[in-house]
Amino acid sequence: MERAKRPNYLFVFITLAVFTLIETLVSYIQQTAIKLPTLITLSVVKAVLVLLYFMHLKFDSEVFSYLFIAGCILSIPLILVIVLVMPAITP
Amino acid sequence: MSEMQASGPAPIQQRDNTKLGIWVFLGGEVVFFVTLILTFLMIRLTNSNYESAFRSHLSIPIIALNTFVLVTSSYFVVRALEAISYKGDQKGLRNNLLVVVLLGLIFLGGQAFEWTTLFREGVNLASTFGSPFFIVTGIHGTHVFIGILWVIYLLAGHWRHPFTQENHLAIENFGLYWHFVDIVWIVLFTVIYLI
Repeated sequence: MERAKRPNYLFVFITLAVFTLIETLVSYIQQTAIKLPTLITLSVVKAVLVLLYFMHLKFDSEVFSYLFIAGCILSIPLILVIVLVMPAITP
Repeated sequence: MSEMQASGPAPIQQRDNTKLGIWVFLGGEVVFFVTLILTFLMIRLTNSNYESAFRSHLSIPIIALNTFVLVTSSYFVVRALEAISYKGDQKGLRNNLLVVVLLGLIFLGGQAFEWTTLFREGVNLASTFGSPFFIVTGIHGTHVFIGILWVIYLLAGHWRHPFTQENHLAIENFGLYWHFVDIVWIVLFTVIYLI
């Protein structure tokens, strides 16, 4: 982590806390058309904020980002197997 | 050589080797948790009675509070790192890590409360949704527990040989693990409880 680029951790934390509150409130909405995309978007934004700022991927060597992305790419065959096989074996 | 370096990714420093190891480990953890979470999702999607058979037993406000506790613990981890890396504040490092231990224990306490309630209501390992739920949240909880043990180990090390502004990579490495566990929970919170 480079010392010159010091992130505002408190701001990131407050954003995460507020998003958690919004998510909780949105979960009580019955309309799936609004609920689903909102919850997925908020969840992804929260995860990316933690990755970029708390885990310093925004400031650190790109090699670390590539390793994380590699994990995501390696998951794709497993995702395909689960999605294709599970419905066939579920009674 | 210099041209290659200019066009390629920024080089990592020699001291970052252990950090590189942590990132390799986390890359593997991504595969592991994606598989677990997707399996849970598929079981959920291939059974139409998720809401009545399982979700109605979950207490969203309590778990939202637990999520807030874990997010807060992540903030205290970065505060600990900030204290030692920017200010060389050893007392600040110790106090923030102690708060992380406390918040981690509160999170596990919340999870234990939830599990106990579910068992009392008849949701157990034999039920369709109970089985994947207890496996996924149990493995995540185990990660939190390992994280707590890791902080205690760091605190014990700090007591004998205090971390300094120049020597604190172990704190940064622990932080990466803890934040990853936080990210996994952010996803689980949405997939299991909210959607």
